[in-house]
Formats: sequence, structure tokens, C-alpha cells
Amino acid sequence: MRSISIVLLMLIVSTFAVDKNNFKTCEQSSFCRRCRKVQPGSSPYEIIPNTLNTYANHITADIRNNENQHVFVLKLEALKGNMFHFEIDEKSPLKPRYRVTDALQKEPTYESIKVSSTSSEITIISGRNKAVVFLSPFKIEFFQDETLVTSVNSRGLMNFEHLRKKPEPPAGEQEGAEGDESKIDPPEDDPGAWEENFKGHHDSKPNGPSAVALDFTFHQANILFGIPEHADSFALKSTNGGDPYRLYNLDVFEYELQSTMALYGSVPIIYGHGAGATTGIFWQNAAETWVDIAGISAEQNVMSSIVNFVAGSRQSDPPSAHFMSESGIIDTFVLLGSNPNEAFHQYTDLTGNGKLPQMFAIAYHQCRWNYNDEQDVAQVVAKFDEHDIPMDTMWLDIEYTEGKKYFTWDHTKFPHPVEMMKNLSDVGRHLTIIIDPHIKRDSSYFFHNDCTDKGYYIKNKDGKDYEGWCWPGAASYPDFFNPEIRKYYADQYLLDNFKESTIETGIWNDMNEPSVFNGPEITMLKDNLHYGGWEHRDVHNLYGQMQLVGTYDGLVRRSGGSLRPFILTRAHFAGTQRYAGVWTGDNAAEWSHLEMSIPMCLSLSVSGISFCGADVGGFFGNPDGELFYRWNQAGAFQPFFRGHAHIDTKRREPWLFPEDVKLVVRDAIRKRYSYLAFWYTMFYEHERSGLPIMRPMLSQYPLDKNAYALDDQYMLSDKLLVRPVMQKGASKVDVYFPSKNGEKQGDIWYDIDDYRKIERVGVESVSVNSYKIPVYQRGGTIIPKKERIRRSAVLMQDDPFTLIVAVDENNTAKGTLYIDDEKTFEYRQGKYLYLDFEFKDGVLSSRYIDETAKFSTKTWLERVVIVGLNKTPTSATLRTSDNKSTQLEIIDVKKTSFVIRKPGVSMMDNTWSITLNY
Amino acid sequence: MIANIAVFIFFLGFLSEIKSDKPILRGINPQKAQLYISKNDKFTCFDGKKVIKYSQLNDDFCDCADGSDEPGTSACVNGRFYCINAGFKPIIIPSSRVNDGVCDCCDASDEYFSNAKCINNCIELGSADRIREKQQAELLKSGNQVRLEMAQKGKKKKEEQKIRMSELEKAREQAEQLKEEKYKIKDDAEILENAALDVYKQADEEEKKQKMELESEANRNEAEETFRKFDSNANGKMEIIELQTRIMFDKDRNGVVEVEEARYFLDENDELDLEGFVTLAWPRIKPFLMLDSGLFKAPKKEGDEHIDDEDDESIDAAGDEPIEEAELLNEDEEHHHGDDDADYDEEAEGQQEDQPEPPQPQYDEETQRLIHLANEARNQYDVTDREFREIDRELSDIRNALEKDFGPEEEFAPLNGECFSFEDREYVYKLCPFDKAVQQPRNGGAETRLGTWDSWKGSDYRQMLYANGAGCWNGPSRSAIVELECGLDTRILSVSEPNRCEYFYKMQTPAACSTTRLEIHDEL
Repeated sequence: MRSISIVLLMLIVSTFAVDKNNFKTCEQSSFCRRCRKVQPGSSPYEIIPNTLNTYANHITADIRNNENQHVFVLKLEALKGNMFHFEIDEKSPLKPRYRVTDALQKEPTYESIKVSSTSSEITIISGRNKAVVFLSPFKIEFFQDETLVTSVNSRGLMNFEHLRKKPEPPAGEQEGAEGDESKIDPPEDDPGAWEENFKGHHDSKPNGPSAVALDFTFHQANILFGIPEHADSFALKSTNGGDPYRLYNLDVFEYELQSTMALYGSVPIIYGHGAGATTGIFWQNAAETWVDIAGISAEQNVMSSIVNFVAGSRQSDPPSAHFMSESGIIDTFVLLGSNPNEAFHQYTDLTGNGKLPQMFAIAYHQCRWNYNDEQDVAQVVAKFDEHDIPMDTMWLDIEYTEGKKYFTWDHTKFPHPVEMMKNLSDVGRHLTIIIDPHIKRDSSYFFHNDCTDKGYYIKNKDGKDYEGWCWPGAASYPDFFNPEIRKYYADQYLLDNFKESTIETGIWNDMNEPSVFNGPEITMLKDNLHYGGWEHRDVHNLYGQMQLVGTYDGLVRRSGGSLRPFILTRAHFAGTQRYAGVWTGDNAAEWSHLEMSIPMCLSLSVSGISFCGADVGGFFGNPDGELFYRWNQAGAFQPFFRGHAHIDTKRREPWLFPEDVKLVVRDAIRKRYSYLAFWYTMFYEHERSGLPIMRPMLSQYPLDKNAYALDDQYMLSDKLLVRPVMQKGASKVDVYFPSKNGEKQGDIWYDIDDYRKIERVGVESVSVNSYKIPVYQRGGTIIPKKERIRRSAVLMQDDPFTLIVAVDENNTAKGTLYIDDEKTFEYRQGKYLYLDFEFKDGVLSSRYIDETAKFSTKTWLERVVIVGLNKTPTSATLRTSDNKSTQLEIIDVKKTSFVIRKPGVSMMDNTWSITLNY
Repeated sequence: MIANIAVFIFFLGFLSEIKSDKPILRGINPQKAQLYISKNDKFTCFDGKKVIKYSQLNDDFCDCADGSDEPGTSACVNGRFYCINAGFKPIIIPSSRVNDGVCDCCDASDEYFSNAKCINNCIELGSADRIREKQQAELLKSGNQVRLEMAQKGKKKKEEQKIRMSELEKAREQAEQLKEEKYKIKDDAEILENAALDVYKQADEEEKKQKMELESEANRNEAEETFRKFDSNANGKMEIIELQTRIMFDKDRNGVVEVEEARYFLDENDELDLEGFVTLAWPRIKPFLMLDSGLFKAPKKEGDEHIDDEDDESIDAAGDEPIEEAELLNEDEEHHHGDDDADYDEEAEGQQEDQPEPPQPQYDEETQRLIHLANEARNQYDVTDREFREIDRELSDIRNALEKDFGPEEEFAPLNGECFSFEDREYVYKLCPFDKAVQQPRNGGAETRLGTWDSWKGSDYRQMLYANGAGCWNGPSRSAIVELECGLDTRILSVSEPNRCEYFYKMQTPAACSTTRLEIHDEL
């Protein structure tokens, strides 16, 4: 939605950029300062000899810090699917240290291991994978097929601050402990170890220093990527000389691009990729985390390091990442790939796959802060119809509520919310409304009273209800970590409670970092207390996700378990994909922000969160016509497609622009609708496989080093290459057509607009007019479409399909199509059709992939476009499962394509084929 | 001719076939029905680019790029479906609305193959529509009566204004002449008066100068004393840290004297020596000291006098500048003053300014006589001047009114000079047509100008634009659009703010009840 906006803006002089002073640098954060001070070299940590214990799936061993003799326990286990997991915790901590919950979708499956040890190392073998634990100094090396891929603490940056008693005041008061002989533990020589101040906010730090830090080296990698959310390139850059990448969910007003600053979400998964291997490290920690990146050439030029690599003169240090978290334990999953898609799959195997949304949710969304009242909503909807622009969902931002009290309506502006929703659903449309986590402190508000009476609010360090400042003014925040509170919260979504909603109402959970206008860094005090006595410090990055757990549960129960919930969230963490889609927050109407939408969504996609999009048009500021239509074109090919705008911007519904701009926007949105069947199939396959929908080029072309860092183009599944126009006044766009083998062998590509054939590896400069969205279908694929564009996606459910068959060099192609009722969970009971199409030897055939799945549909095959065949047949013959044959006409014959006219076969027919006749 | 009749007869039969729901002829616009007649069992796409089998018409597959072969199905993205809607008005809908489960045609003809259960309600809609049309026509008729009366008034007023204008133009000439005569008399009298008074004035000035020097010295002493007091470490330098300990410098009243605040008082320096302190810092510090000790009111008055009496340059900076705030205020007032009187002759203004009366010295008899004469002359001049200006003002009002566009028949003229109000939950909105639109919070508070009469938007006298209202924070200046519709009286129906700082009034008025205009509207 927006950021801290007006309230803060009135304090800041109006400059159009982030106020960096509101946010900490590493230097201003005591634990980051302490961890970053650790120098590479010999680590003081070592495995204590003879402490090894071996079990069926794991080992344990004790680790000692030689500088203070503190003892830790290492547990290392092998997981199914080429993964290892290890934990390091204090052997006997003063009090338990926080372990992350709710990030993993379920307990992982363990794999048996073979262990052998010598006086200097312990070797753990699991299938083709091997972990070697070095005793002194402590280090772990991970091998796959005898190739060293990743190592842990090989740079010696490990730092585990054990819990300790607070030193007596006299010692603490001494200033500048330097040169003080009375042995102060290293963390405590930092003035922020036991308390910290930032911009007038005090952090009491009752537990003192508790940081954990560790380094990971990616021995086969040329590129590191992941750890969203940052407004930065897909390829991570060296942080030498700058601030580390920061993971701390924050509401950053007018965020800056090309920055390692924290944003709304944090997913601590990082990947290293090179031609030889792809590996990932999932650092399971919900506290504030900073990540230093090293071993990437200083110019941050991946190309040049590749050249070095190819020339055999690669830099001496392989890429590495140094994770530093403020509290918790060391809890790490090592994903051994070996290729990008396998590594992505391993990550989603742990944290879960995004669930198939309802069809409307992947169609076009129309949002604005705010649509003022019922008339406004009705008029906007009517205008979409008048201009024949499809639209599925209207959105209401905070102003629909009565005084920013969620679960209530402002009845002056919205006297008949249910009727308004019915007017929308009559045309297959939906309404999504915002529900933020902050609760107005108002004694006439039932939610506030319930939370106060039942003690549901997060507490401050003194055990009182924490009170912050947000949209409603004084506000408190439910403690979603408590299952009872989550249940209460979920119950509020039930129609018995929220009477003025329907089972179809979509929910938008914004401001859930949480945003606190008057808090440190616009969020909550770290010494606030949660369920179980944990400090906010321990769980901060998980807070938004716990709200989503409640929302998701509420929405499922609201429809009696029948409808798939639609939720959009701003904050996110590992596992958020199981509950909600994510948008990239409060961007701006600038070309650079349009460009940034791709790297940001790519980084989220490889981190499990495929349902991603950016505010189309830019949230802050007013886009001109060109930026507006280019952004709509880009958005039409991103998973979550929503126009949104700040309350201070000019109205920008498409028809408010000049006619020529409106027509281009209309064309882009309609193009999205024509591909919805393909999108829907991709989302279904995403739920099955966990593979990203929007993929970096390297996922499909892992050997092409020139493609690694590309983040102005991407793949949709393995079928479409998308390179939107994102430069003002562009008449040409460079598209990179990648190599399959790292050399000159590439795929065949077809321009989706005119089926122009491209057979090259390398950059092609493509001419673009205003309507052009450079998108290419890969030869060898079959893509389903629907070419009858209705007012909303829901109304297109029974419409017939078109198949685009684009052949490869062997004149073959494959593809899939998924069909179900587009809204309920019944597909999980086998009510769907999942079709496999194959074109080979001049025959297009269809069969069920899941033989037992059945679904009754009116849909049929309207046309087949065959692209890339050299010879045009004279006719075609359809053979259906009842052994009937029908002659089909060949029409619209063009240079690279022809159309098989109206096969008319029902999509329920489980084995049909179409043979080309010459 | 005979051939034509034959075609016509065929055409009639064809039309009835369209109505008979034969699939192949579904959705055809009767005006284009002829083009759908089978020719050798073929159909030619309207764009002429393709000839298809007649059986491919409405066969749920789009063969013609222009969509002409599928008027009755949803197959063509650019197709058009014609609903006959017998009993109501026929409509043409995009083909994408055929069989999409939504009833778009009141005769249900668009949903012949869908799950939608549409009922034919064209008859009901038709009769309701006719009733509405009748009511509308009646309203328009009686509204138009009022409109004609308003137009009459408007025209009459315009005529009267034209007559009055020529009267005033003559009167103005005479008044101006008279005024000039009196001015000359006054001027002569003042020359004599000034010469006599000069003698006294010089003595007075001398005295004042002395007084000021004394004051300046006192001020410097005070500054030096403060310097010694604040210079806690007595190093001869005034430092930021020394000011930070004094809470009176907490400008933003947040309880802390920040470095920036302290720097402000040091004229953005980190430290100042005595001389610097006296010249740069003291002027900033003194008002706060006064404020602190509750002394602020008195010096303001003093400052006023100084400024009125003397040129600024003649004032010793160190002595009198501390009264920055008061000075600013004063300037502001003067500015406003000037604004309000913008219509006045500058010459007149200079003369009119009241000289502050200094304590009257005792003048000799001759001087007193000259003063008396000059006062007399001034009074007489003032009277003639006032008369002249009154005429001028009325004249410019009339000219302004005559310049405004009150509609093709002057029917909006009677609204000029009236004001209408509308209240919603938070605000009272006021509209004074051809003048301004304003908004005022219901719970009191200042009026905000939403716009000043600018122009009609478009040529049909339906929308008024009020532009250049008060500036919006972080945005453009406010503006309002007033949309007019026909009604028997004039009132505001609703006010909304569809865009930040862009207001939208709906207003009804008989002046908008033009019968001719409605006809034009209907055709569109």
C-alpha cells in the first residue's frame, strides 16, 4: 500500500528519497559491528576430540571456543533430496535460545549416513553427497560426487556469542575498555552489547550479546543470488566497502534502488551457481540479519569474473557469504543442487510450495489508495466495461474502514458493502480489502477490547501492552505467535463475525513488518515480549508470516474449507509462499523502478515466493503515458498484476490517459488474459514442483555464463522468454538469446506476436513500437491460450482453448494444460484435468497425465497454431477417443505458421490426436 | 424499382427470420441484414478480404478478421452482437458478452447457451423508461419556463448594466476633473505648511538621534553582559555546547536543545567571539531572552514606531534588529494592506497615508494657520477622491460582470451574486456561481478556497470550472468542477473529491433546463 507516509513526511522535509537516517547501518548496529570485526583467518572454534556421537541419520559433536572455553553442540544430519542440515547451539545456555518455527512446511525427511573419523576430521557420507567436518579449526566441507561445492567457516568468521550474566555496574561503567587487563569478553568491549540507543529509542537488551555468525564459501560459483528483499540487482554484489545486505522487515518510505538496505521482507536463502554446480544455504533465523558478500570482483562485474574463470585465471577467492544474526542459534540447511532448478526445488521442499490461487487472482487487479465510496467503485468498474478492458478485482485501501478499525466499514462512504460485492461478483469480479495488523486503541472497538481483556497484545519489556503509532493513531499489535490469538484472529474473518464480507472477499495484509510510525526504524522495539517469553528481537522477521497463518486459516474456514484464499502481504519470510502473494511494496513512478520489478521478483521467485508483482505504474508519483503503458506491458507478464497508486497521485485509470495510451494498456491487459490458461497451468505446476514461475535465465541455461546475471529478461516456466521494454523512448531493445551448452548451440525462438523465427545465440536488437512486448516462445513447447477476452477471467471459464505449438529443430514440441473449477479445493480430491500435449512426426496428441483425475468441463479446442514447420499440410485429421475422424481445414497460412481450424474436440476427451495431411 | 421492391420484401422476411432465433442469423444488426444474405452459399467478410462458406456464419469460429462472420457468437474478439430488445431499446454489445453468464440484453438473447437464467424484462424496462422519459420531459418543460424567466432577468440586467455603465463613465470623467482641482489646492497648501513645519522637524530629529544612540549602547551592554553570562567556561568564545544547556533555545520545544538549534543562534557558526556574538548572534538571541522573561510585548510596539518613523538604514543594526518577528509581522500587514487597495491610485495612496502624530510641539500662530488651511484642503480632496473611487469600483464591477459568460441566453446571470451551501459529514461546501467555491470544516476553522470562477468547460454550458484555489500540501492548487443538471430550483446535490484536491460539485438549476440542449444530448 504505502509507507509511513504523511505522518512521517510532515516531519521530514519533502525530498523524494529514502531518509537513510531513519535506518541503521551495520556500524550503528552493535551486533553487526561486533560480527563484522571478526577477521578472516584461523577460527578459535574447534571440535572437542572424542565427543562424536553417531546415529542413523545424524551425528553430534561438541565445539569449544578456545578463547573463552565456552562449549557448543554441533548436530549434522542428512536429508532426502541431496541436502544436509546442521545446528550449532550452546551446550548448556543460561536460558534456551530461540529456534525458528513455522518456516518449514513440515519435518524434513532424513537420510541414512555412513560416518568415519580420523583424529583431524569426521566424514559423513549420504548417497552421492559427503560432508567432512574438520576438527581444528572447526570447518565443514560439502562435496557432491567428490567435488567440493560449499564449505562452512572456511574463512573463520564464525562467531557465537554465548548468553552470560550482565557484568556488575562498576565494570560496565568504565569507558573505553581498551587496554583494560581485567579480561572482558570480546562482545562486551562494544558499548552496545548490553544496551543500545538509536534515534531516541532505547533497547534494554536484558540478555546482552547473543549474536551468531558464520561464513559460507561457494567453491564452484560464479554468481551468488537470493536473500530478498532488496531493491538491487539479481546478482549479489560484493559488500566490501559498503554495508552488508540487511534482512530486517522494515517499512521503508520511498526506498532507494541499488541498495543493500533492508526492505519489507526477509528470506535468508542464498544460492551460488556456476557451470559445475548450484548450491544453496538456507540460514534459518528470524532475527535481524546482515549478509556480507565477498569474492565477487569489486567492479561487481560478473562478466569479467566469468572471463577470468574461463581463462583459467579466476580470482583466488571463490564467492562467499557471511551471515550475521542478532540472536537465535546457527540453524542451516545446505542444498546441494546440483543444478538451479534442483536447488530451488530443495528449498521449496523444505519451506513449501506456493498454492494454486483462484483464477481471478492471477488476472488483472485494480487498486488505488483509495476508491472513495461505493459510487466511485461502481463508476470505475463501469468504465472498465465501457472501454472493454478486462478486470477481475477491485481493491479498497484503508479508507473503507470506520476510523482505521479493521473488520468495520465506514458506512457513510460504503453503506452497502455486501451489495457492492454482489454487484462485482455478478460479473465474475472480486473485491479485496485491506486488513492491517495494528489495532486501534479505542475503547469502542471490540477487537481492541477483546485483545486488552484477554491479553492478546504484544507486551513491552515491563509486561504492559505495547503501544505504538500507526494509521489509526495509537495502536497495539496482536501477538500472532500465540496459537490462541491466531485462532481468535482467524475467527474474525468468519462471516458470523465479519458480517459485511463474503466468502469471496480477498484480504490484503499490509504494514505487517510490523510498521510502527514512532518506533525505532519505523518498527517495533526489540525488547518487546511475545508468547513464550521470546523477545521481539528473536522473532521479528517472522511476525508478518504469523499474521498470514491466521488470515489463511480464517479464510479457509470462512468458506467451510471450499474456496482457496486470496491474500496479499507486504512482509514476508521463508515459507510465506504457503499463504500469500507478495508485492514489492511502495515503489515509485520512475523508469528505474519499473526495471527493478524484475530483479526483485526474480529474487523472490528463487526464494520460494513465485506469486510476486510490483505496483504497476509506480505507487508514488505520477507516471506519464509511456511509463504507464510500458509498466502495464511488463506487469502483464509478471505473476501478480495489479495497478496501484498513492492517495496523493493523480487518478490513473487507463481511460484517463490519451486514447492512444489507453489502447496500448488495453492491449497489454488483454494479452495477459489471453495467456491466463498458461499462467494457471504454471501456477498448478508450481504447486506440484515448487519450481519458480518467473525464472532467471540461468535456470534453463545453467552453462551460459553470459546469462547468469541477466535481470532485464527472464523465463516464464521453461517456455517463454520475456524482455519487456523498460526504457523511455526506446525504439529498440536488446534481447539475449542464450546458449544451451555454453557455446554456440541455442534454442529456436518464435516471437509470440508474428511467429518470427529467431535462431541465434547472443544479443539481438529488436525493434519495438508502442504496442510491442518482446516475448518469445521457445521452440519445442506447446502453450495453451484462450483468445476470447471477456470482462473478467471468471467469465472465460467455459471458453475454448487455442494451442500454440512451436517446434524445435526436430519438429517436435511438448506442453501441458491444467483445468479445474478455478476456485475451490476440489482439485485436491482429483477433480481436475491435467493434459499432456505432444507434437511429433506431424501428429499432435493429447493424453491425461493423471489418469485418475477427472473434471467435467465445457471447454473445447478452438484452434491449433503450428509454428515453425517448413511444410504446410493440405488438411488435418482429428481422431477422438471414440475412434471418430474428422477432416479439419488448414487456414491462415503464413511464412512460419498455419492454423488448424476448429478441431472442436472436448478437453475432456482423454486421447485425441490431430494428424497433418500432406 | 421492381427489383428494389423484391429485395425489400425479401428483406422483411429476412428480418423476421432474425427474430425467429435461427442460429445462423443470430445477433445481426438489421441495418446490416442485407449483407448476410447468402450468395451462392457463400459469405463475404465485410472487409472483403475473405469469402467463406455460408454455413460458417455463426458457427462459433472466427473466420473474418473484422468479426463480421460471427455476429451471434463470442468467437470474434472484435465482433458485435445486436439485441433487438423488443419493447425497449435495441443495443449493440461486444461479442465477448455473448454467453458469458451475464444477462446484458433485456430480451435475454445474448445468453442462449449459458448457465445464466435471464428473463425477458424488456416490456417492464420499456414502460419504466417511458415513464422516466415523460417525467424528464415534464421537468424539462417546467424547468425551461423558469429558465426563460431567468434569461429574461439576465438580459434585463445586462441592459441595465450597459446603461449604468455609460452613466458611470460620464460621472467618472466629472469626478476625476473635480478631484484634480482639489488636488492642486491641497498641494499648494501643503507646500506652505511643510516649509513652516520643517523648522520644527529638524529639531525633533536631532533629539531622536540622540535617544537612539543611547539605546544602542544599552543594547550592546546587554549583549556583552549576556555573552559573559553564557560563556560558562569563560574562554571568550560562545560555543554550541554552552547554548545547549539553556532550555530557552529549544525552538521546537521537544525538550532538548539540539546542535542545529544551538547553531541557529550562533548564526550557523560553531562558535563566536564577543564581536561576532554581538553582531551576529545577539539579534537572534534577544527575542528569545525577552520571550523567556515575558518581555516580548513591549519591544514590539517600540519596533513599530521605529519602522514607521525612520528609514531602516538609519537604525543601528545591533540596536534594533532583535525584533525580527515583530518586524516581519508588520511587513506582512503592510503587504496585505497594499493588496486590498490594489484598485486605488498609487498617488492617492501616498497622500492618504496618515502621518503619525508626534507629540505636538507648540507651533507659532502663522504655522498653525497654515496647518489649518492644509487640513481643510486635504479634507476636501479626500471627499472628491472617495467619490471618484466609488464610481471607479462600481464601473469595474459592471465591466467584470459584463465580461462573464452567463450562457447563450443570459440564463445563468441571476445566479451571479448568489451563494449556495451543501453540508456533508465533515465540511460545509459553498458555491457562489461565477465567483468562488469554498470549503469550511463543520466544526469551525478557516475557510479554504477550492477555486475561483475560471470558465465553462466545453461549449454546452454543463460544467463550470473554478480554478486556482488554495495550494495543496505537496500538490497542485485546488480546483472544482461544477456539473449542472436541470432542476426546478437551484441547489447543490453533492460534492466529492474524486482526486486529491480536485472537487466535484453536482448542482441542479432551472438555468440548465434547455429543451434544445436535451435533444442534442439524446441524439448522442
